[in-house]
This record gives sequence, structure tokens and C-alpha cells, in this order.
Amino acid sequence: MYCFLRLSVLLVGLIVSAGSYAVNAVQPLTTADDLGPKVEQPIEFPHDRHAGDAAKGGMQINCMYCHTYARRSIVAGIPPLQKCIGCHQSIESVRETPRIKKLFEYWEAKKAVPWKKVHDLPDFVRFNHERHIQRFVFAQNKPVQEACGYCHGDVKTMTVARRQKPLSMGWCVSCHQKDHPVDATSTKTTHGPNDCWQCHK
Amino acid sequence: MIENSFNRRGFLKVLGWGGATVALSGCGNTSVEDGKEFVTSYVQTADYIIPSIGTYFNSTCAQCNAGCGIMGRVREGRVLKLEGNPKSPINNGKMCGLGQAGVQAHYNPDRIREPLLRTGDKGEAITWEKALALINEKVGGVKAENVAFLTGGVSGHVKALLKNYLDALGSGHHYVYEAVAPSIMRAANKKAYGVEMPRLHLDKAKVIVSFGADFLGAWISPVHFSQQYARFRKADKGERGVLVQVESKMTLTGANADRWLAIRPGTEGILALGLINALAAAGVSVPGDVVGAVKEYTVDRVSKDTGVSAEHIGKLAALLKERSPSLIIAGSAVEGYAHGSQNATAIALLNQVLGNVGKTVEAPSSVPFPQMAPTAGNRFALQALNDNMAQDKVKVLFSYGANPVFTAPASMKLKENLKKVPFKVVFAHYMDETAVEADLVLPLNSALEDWATAMPEYIAEGAQLSIQQPLMEKLYPGTLGMGDILLALLKQRRPEEYKGYEDFYSYLRSAMVSIKGALGGANEDDDTFWDTALSRGVVKLVGAPVNISSNASAKGLVVPAPFVEDSAYPLHLIPAVSASMRDGRNANEPWLQESPDPLTTIVWDSWVEMHPKTAAKLGIVEGDIVEVASRSGAIKAQVYVFTGIHPDVISMPLGYGHEAMGRYAKGVGVNAFKILDPIFDKETGELAMHETRVKVSKAGQRVVIVKDEGPAGGNQMGRKIAVRMSSSKVNLSEEV
Amino acid sequence: MSITNLLENWSDFRQQHPSEDRPHREYKWAMSIDLDACTGCNACSVACYAENNLPVVGKEKFAHGHSHHWIRIERYWDNDGREFADQGAQFLPMLCQQCESAPCETVCPVGATNHTADGLNSQVYNRCVGSRYCNANCPYKARYFNWYDYPTTDNVWPEPMNQQLNPDVTVRGKGVMEKCTFCVQRLTVAKSNARSEGRSVLDGEVQTACQQVCPTGAISFGNLVDPSAKVGKQWKQQQVDLNKDKQAKDVTESAAKLRGYRILEELRTYPSVMYLEQLRESAI
Repeated sequence: MYCFLRLSVLLVGLIVSAGSYAVNAVQPLTTADDLGPKVEQPIEFPHDRHAGDAAKGGMQINCMYCHTYARRSIVAGIPPLQKCIGCHQSIESVRETPRIKKLFEYWEAKKAVPWKKVHDLPDFVRFNHERHIQRFVFAQNKPVQEACGYCHGDVKTMTVARRQKPLSMGWCVSCHQKDHPVDATSTKTTHGPNDCWQCHK
Repeated sequence: MIENSFNRRGFLKVLGWGGATVALSGCGNTSVEDGKEFVTSYVQTADYIIPSIGTYFNSTCAQCNAGCGIMGRVREGRVLKLEGNPKSPINNGKMCGLGQAGVQAHYNPDRIREPLLRTGDKGEAITWEKALALINEKVGGVKAENVAFLTGGVSGHVKALLKNYLDALGSGHHYVYEAVAPSIMRAANKKAYGVEMPRLHLDKAKVIVSFGADFLGAWISPVHFSQQYARFRKADKGERGVLVQVESKMTLTGANADRWLAIRPGTEGILALGLINALAAAGVSVPGDVVGAVKEYTVDRVSKDTGVSAEHIGKLAALLKERSPSLIIAGSAVEGYAHGSQNATAIALLNQVLGNVGKTVEAPSSVPFPQMAPTAGNRFALQALNDNMAQDKVKVLFSYGANPVFTAPASMKLKENLKKVPFKVVFAHYMDETAVEADLVLPLNSALEDWATAMPEYIAEGAQLSIQQPLMEKLYPGTLGMGDILLALLKQRRPEEYKGYEDFYSYLRSAMVSIKGALGGANEDDDTFWDTALSRGVVKLVGAPVNISSNASAKGLVVPAPFVEDSAYPLHLIPAVSASMRDGRNANEPWLQESPDPLTTIVWDSWVEMHPKTAAKLGIVEGDIVEVASRSGAIKAQVYVFTGIHPDVISMPLGYGHEAMGRYAKGVGVNAFKILDPIFDKETGELAMHETRVKVSKAGQRVVIVKDEGPAGGNQMGRKIAVRMSSSKVNLSEEV
Repeated sequence: MSITNLLENWSDFRQQHPSEDRPHREYKWAMSIDLDACTGCNACSVACYAENNLPVVGKEKFAHGHSHHWIRIERYWDNDGREFADQGAQFLPMLCQQCESAPCETVCPVGATNHTADGLNSQVYNRCVGSRYCNANCPYKARYFNWYDYPTTDNVWPEPMNQQLNPDVTVRGKGVMEKCTFCVQRLTVAKSNARSEGRSVLDGEVQTACQQVCPTGAISFGNLVDPSAKVGKQWKQQQVDLNKDKQAKDVTESAAKLRGYRILEELRTYPSVMYLEQLRESAI
């Protein structure tokens, strides 16, 4: 379960820690988009169909229509099953497709869909979706898909979502160090907080 | 690998309940394990439920009988923390440690999870249908007078159902037992004031003289009194109230007193009479018959009898005369003697002489629904039950909310008498000492997953009905609430009357809705009334005022007996009721075991408190294991020496020494209940808890006491850490 | 903020007070504890166990000083050899004093304990390597080390007790230091809510777990920068200055009637917790 080495001798620890700084130093602060692993989901949810551009056959649904918690909670949340059904019970055209049939099977059994996590963070990290959405979408009027895309990549072109950004601490900090305008009209800029407790819990 | 792994530590955290599993951090640069963890969503959910944000539900604390309102923080379907309900006038959003540990009673790994039927030495899991049918068969097979129901203090709808069940059986044997209840004080108050539980207004008093009432720790409603105490100390006008505590063993309240007066055990009543005499001499108007009754209690004599110096008696009388109104409280230390009633009566008389009745001692309100009014437990109930069991008069015994095998003194031989009862049903959370003796053990829901109502015995103004509602789904399908069990039993007896109620919830709701007019919901529809009541957690009741007698009279005053030496057993044993342990029913909650005793800072064990003088006389030092022997038995424990105790007294905490119950309680400390002598208060017949005399001898070993105070033992070593100043030097009215 | 950058430019990153050029901007969290109201009942300590996932270590480990109570009640006697402790005890809730110039911060070899812009002394568990230098350097003994693996091998939260754990707070593994955080998980939420509404956190909007539960209301907590905050008013009225190591009470005769003091401030730790002296009546 733990993958760190248990160093019983403190001195060894200190020497090694000095070494680790050196190794870390050569790593770039930002990485090019490196994709996360492919994740198999119980239902292959097509993000492109729901959120994609109309020209490409998408419905252009706002991310926050389904991920409704993102603007008011630390977590974005997976929508409750009733949300899916709310629309799909009146969309007869796709009612008999394999994915929707599966969806209704879960609904009728009143069973939760066992989705797999695509964007995982270590448990000692506190990432607040609400804060970022409030800042970029509501205060600065950035398009929702752009704001979400800072961390989640171009989800509207994906079927099953896949991680596109490294989500490492250095990557987070690289953005926090940038100056961002405070709101849409202001020329005043500020950067994200840089104290440890903002993100580490 | 070493470089990368060095800075990374895995942390375990438990995520949401509804599907999300235990999350483990992984390896690699970001410790991220994409695609491995589940993130399970709700199927359907209420709008107010937002993942990661706590929802608060109001309920009622069941950890003691004070009936504080609680507010459970619920996230992703599980209750995480209990906070105080700000709408409850008892605790106004505040909590004590005991109350907060309620979550550990709920999530306790040692809870019983299904009904158990005794077969030989073992318990066999059976279904509820079978268990209830068995009860039906057993009570049907005996005469009604041979059925007995033992409970702790009860109130609310469970009490009403219980009475109906006993009526349906035709049995009148309901024994309400509380091991550490202030039952003698109730009787004395009834005699003196005409009411058992007058309302005390600590915040209106300028001086409080408390005779062993631990109102900040474990007495009646400590969170409520603590808030009054805060206002008493820092009154709006900036006048700081003065607290004088008179007792033989320092309680938490004593530790907060401006003056702690160590008194010879059992002579509290004498001091009260002495103060009346001194006040009369100082010109306070005292009725003639009272003056006559107390005139022999001169300062010198009282000082000699009580061990309290003449200087302090004089100062105390002067203070009481000068600063009015005052408040005199008789606590459990007063009533613990064979003349406990007389002590309490003398102290009530002092209140009346000082004119405090109507100012700081006020009448309670009557309760509009007597069938739900609290039935306060006492110790006499257990003696009566025990006698009946000894005479083979009990064939079927139910026990709920009590653990008599643990709390009964060995001299009662309760465990032996229990064996004479052919069929014993115990409703329990744990396999405690009483459940172990049972023939049928029925597992109860925890207080955080059950419906109930409670009517607190003590509330500052008026009366109220507190609602206990489930804060989450049941942890185990095999447990049941007491209300549900009683309803099922009533359906066996009176099917016509109760068939309309599917479960206790539907009974409770319809019972409450049917009286909504009296519960302040006359103009609301049923749903609105019910939802409002649940969201508030408390319902105010309109009670009629009750008369309280302020008449000081020597009628009924029996002069308390002076202290008598006992050369064979020279020391008094004071069994201490601590704020967390009480009578031991919460001993299996680890937060409480690891919460240091405020005075000794000891954790996870029993101890014997002893004055340095007594210790020196016996050649004892801290950590010595001693044998404490009374005429009824002996136990061994470690000695803690400190100056917060009278030299004629030793003290041991109650609640420790469980032989069963669970992993956190079993084998921790010794049970001081066991060696209490069968000495009773002469007027009420209650067991006199402080009357046991003991002798102490070294048992040979010495241990290092496990405590929090550190090797300096409470000495600041000249550093300015905890600082104290004289109240005359400060102006509190200027403070923020 | 790579670690190299952090170490090379330490003085830029290190937040330290008192300092003229770096005043607290929006927040400076501080506390005041009225020792005349504190009754020593331990409710705060239990609240902290519930809020911050503190492990119950059991008798044997407690005996070795391995207990974890981020807020503990210290109990002192002051009876100068008198026969009885006849003025009662002195109770003192002791917690991390969130020092402005914290001795623990300067000795951490890996920068795991730092000062935040809000004036908190932060402890980052996954940075900590367990050297325990900070513990040795803390004059208040307010830091607690995880000598054992409480969540797993020690099984401090056996099923289903682990369901009580607060998901907002990390359950610490073996080999890391921990201490009072002023309930930073609550502060973060309050700050985020306030920011979304374009304001600062209001006084009373956020409470620490110990403050919330205290039956006598002995603990006040708030933002010292906010002039309307009760805690700031208390500090001001008591003439206790965050940036001084001697207060008016210690130097001026007329201020001797004030009750406010900070513990061991002569060590120039500049604590963020002010205590109000306990009182005793002289007429009895």
C-alpha cells in the first residue's frame, strides 16, 4: 500500500533527500500534454456527442449542466443517474441503442453505475473545483469549456474521457505563478495562492 | 526509485459511503491512479445533497439524560461529527466531550448486530420474528405480576408505549433505575420547596455556594449549567460571581471555585446550619423556629465538626449576607450518607433563609403530557427488583437502558438473584455484563439511527419535547429501535389498536401530528408541522407554572449526624462520578478513555485519590498499588496523591472495571461499585453512595501512572504559563 | 515553486513576522482564550479528535508520550505547600500557538513546515520526513509525531469506526509530524465562499472545532486584520500587540489590571494565541 521506503536511519534519509532535490531540479516545471491511461467504463459515455460542437454532431451541452456540483463544491461530481434518465426518457430515437439500454437497466434496478475515476489526485490534495469555476467562469467570463479544459483538456472531442494534463504539483504551480486578470474588465492581475496549506491537507 | 519514492508518502483516507471504496494513494510522480478507483454517483438524490458538503440534521443526544440538542454533520450518507443544536435552549449549540463521543457509540465495532438466544454458554443468532414470538410465548406463560421491566430513566413516546405494553400485560412492575441519579436531593427538594427539580439560575446569583454539586462536570445538565456559569462569571455589569465549593473530594466544579473548602465527609448539613446561625447573628432575618433549631451551631462547634476553619465560615457568612441574591446548591456529595436527606434539607433551608427562592431558585413548569414526562430513575428501584427476584417473584425480566450487573454493589448479590429468573430479555448495544447473563439479547439501533422523543427533566424555562431522528441509514440490518420493538410487542397484545402503524416512525408521526395544537403547530398542515419539528429538533411545550415554597421553616428539619470515627475502616470512600465515565455505560468509547481526567490527568485506568497527609501516614507514594477494602469487598488500584481531597477520604472513579462490554472497556481499571456497603439513606431508602468506610493497605507493586500532566506534576517551574490574578484588580466591564 | 527554487530563494518564500515590509494582507488568524471561563472540561479536546482524525493510541503508547491531542488541557496547581488546593486548579488549553516567528519552521530540513500568508504555521504531511527537529524546537510541546501506522497496522479505526473519519482532513501515516491547524479545512472553505461572493470572511463565519463546542465560550477565534472581529477587539483592549515580545501589562503600572498575555513570549516566538488570566476572588 505504501510505496515509499521506510528509512529507519534518519541520516540516510537526509542524504537521500538532498539527492532527490537534484533529480527534481532537472525535471521541467511544465510538461507537454501527456495522456493518461485509457479507462474502461461500464458505459462508454460519449462526451463528444453531448458536449461537442454542433458542426461535428455534438449537442453543445454546457459541462455544468451535468457536472452541476463543480460550481458549488470542491468536487465536480458525477451526475446522479436520474439526471441522465431525465433527458433520455424522452429521447426515443436512441432508446434502443446498447449504451442507453444499459443505462436504463441500472435505473430500473436502482443501482449506481460503477464509473471509474479518470482524473485522480492524491488524497492529501485539496483541489477546489468551485474556486476555479467561480474565478474563471463567473468572475472572468471565460467560456466554460475553456476553463474546464485548463485541467481536463479537450473533453468535448473525446468519447470516454481521458486525462490530458499531468496534474502534478509542478504543473499546478506553473499556472498559479502566472498572473491572471482579476475579472473580465480589470487590468489588475494576480496569481494563485502559493502557500502549502492551500492545496495540501 | 529511492529518489522518487522519498518524498512520497501514501495516505489512507476513507471516501464516500454510497459506493466509493477506500481510496489508496499510489505511486508515480503524482500518486495518481487513474482508472483504478471507483467514483460512484447517486442514483437519485435530494437537491440539498451536494457531494463533499456536509448536511446538518438536528436530533437529541442520548449519551446522558440531560437531553441536549445535537446537530449531526452528514456527508455522503454517513454521520461524521456531532455538534450542538443552536436551537436547543438546553445547550444552545454547545456540547460536552461525552456527547460528542456519541458517534463512537454508533460506529462502535463491538455493537451487537443480531438477536442472540442463549443455548448453554453460547449465544445463537436468531431472527427477530423468532425472538418476538419467544417473548410472546414466555410472557403468555406466566402471571402478569411475575413480569418485570427494568429501565433507566425514560420519557417521551417510548415511555408511553412501554406503559401501554405493561398495561396490556397487566403488569405494574416497571423499575426505573439510575445508579448515580440525584434521587435523595429530589426527595429533599420536594419536602422543602414542594418541587423535586427546581430551576437554578446560576447566572442571576452573585455568590454560589455549592455543596458538592459538580454542575460543570456530571451533575444533571452540565452543558447548560456551564453556559450559565460563563454568564455568572462575566456578568453584563462586569460583576464577577463568586463560587465557593464545599466538598470532601474535589470535583471539576471544585477546581474552578474561588475557594474550595475541604469538609469532613457527611458534615455538609452541619455547615449549612452553622451558616444559618451565623447569618442570624449577623442580622439576617431568620424565622424564630429556625433560629431555635440552629442556635447550638456556633462557629466554633461547626468548625470542629466539619473541619472548615472558623475564618472561612465567617467570611462565607459575610459574603452571603453582603451579596444577594446567592444560590446554594446541594449536590451528590451531600446526599451520599445515611443522613443524606437531612443534609439536603438543611441546605435547602439555607437557600430559603437567604431569600433565594423566587430569585435564583425558581419553580419548574408542569408538563402538559404526563404520560411522556420523564420518569427519573433511582437506586431504590433496583433494590426492590432484587428483593423480588430473590423471592422468586420474577419469571420474565426485561432490561433496557441499565446495566445492573455492573452497577449493583456485590453485597446485593444481584447476579446470583438474576439466575433465579427463568427468562431474561436484555435490550442492549453491547454484550455488557447484564447482556452476558441474559437468555435473549436484543440488539438496539444506535441513538444516531433511531427514532424517539425525549422530554428533558431539567430545562431552564418551560418544557420541551426533543426529537431524536436517524442521522443515517442503519449500519446493521439486524438491529431494531426500542420504539419498534415495543410496537411489535404491543401488536401481539393489542393488535386492533396498533395494527395501523407500520413502524414506530409512523406511530410517532401520527402521535405528534395528533397533538400538534399543543405543540405549537395549530395553524400548520400536518406535513409542515412535522417537517418544521424535525428540522428544529425541539418542540416547545406550554407548561403551567408550579408553586414553589420559599417559606423557611424548621419543620421537618432533622439535625444531621456528626462525623463518627471508625477505627477498623478509618477512611470514607467517595465513588466519583466523572464527566465522561458516569456510571460506565459509555466506557467503550475510546475518545472518553483517552480523554484525561481533568484533575488527575489519568487515562485508561482507575485510581485512588489520596491526600499527601494520609499517604504519608500509610507510607504510600504515587503509583503504589493499594488494596482498598470495605466490609463488602476489596479492589486494587494505583494511588494518585494530591491536595484536592480531605485527609479522611479516598476517592475512586466509577465506570471503570468492566468485565465485558467491548475491547475499549473490558479490563480497564476496577469497578468501585462492587465494594459499596449496603447502607441506606434513612428517609428514602436509597443506597448511600458515600457512606462506605474502607481501609487501605499497600499491595506491594508500584507502577508509573499513565497520565497527561508530565513529570512536573502540575508545577509551572517558575515559568509564566497559566497565570492567575485577584479579581479585585481587574475591571471586567471594560472587557470585550 | 520547485524545491530548488524554494531553497535558493528561501528568504523570499519565508513568511515571517513581525516585519514592516510584509504586513498581513487579508487575513491573520488568531485566537484568545479566557482562562477564567475555561473549566477544564475537555470538550474542546474531544471535538478536535472528531474533526481532525486524531488517533486514540491506548494506554501503553500514551505512557510513552505518544498521545495525539492537538489541543490538550494542561492542569496546574498553585498551592504553595498549603494543605489543600483551596483555590482550585489552573486549567490551560494548550495548542499550537501558530507563532509568527516559529522556532519549528527554521529547523525543518525539508521545508515541510512553513508560514502561510494568513499567519498560520503550516505542516505539510507529504513533505515531512520525520526528522522531529521541529518537535524538539517547539517550546509549547504542541507537535505530535506518528510513531506508528495508526490507520493500518495499529488499526485505530476498526470497521466501521473508520466511517467517522473526516474526509476533509488527511489521515496521517507513520513517520510524519502533525499539530493543530486552526482547523485549516474550515478556513479554506470559508475563504473560498467569501471570495466567490467578492468579500472577506466575516467575523463568526468560521469557527474552529474547539471554539464551536466550548460550553462556556472561553475560546474566541477570528481574523486579526478585520477591525470588527471580536478577537481583534480583545487583543486591542488587552493591549497585546502581535509584534511585541513585551506587552503594556509587563511595562506600564496602569496596565497591570489587564488580563491578556501570551505564553513564553520572551522567547520571541510571537504567538497568535492570547490567554486571559484566570481570576480568583479575594473576599473569601
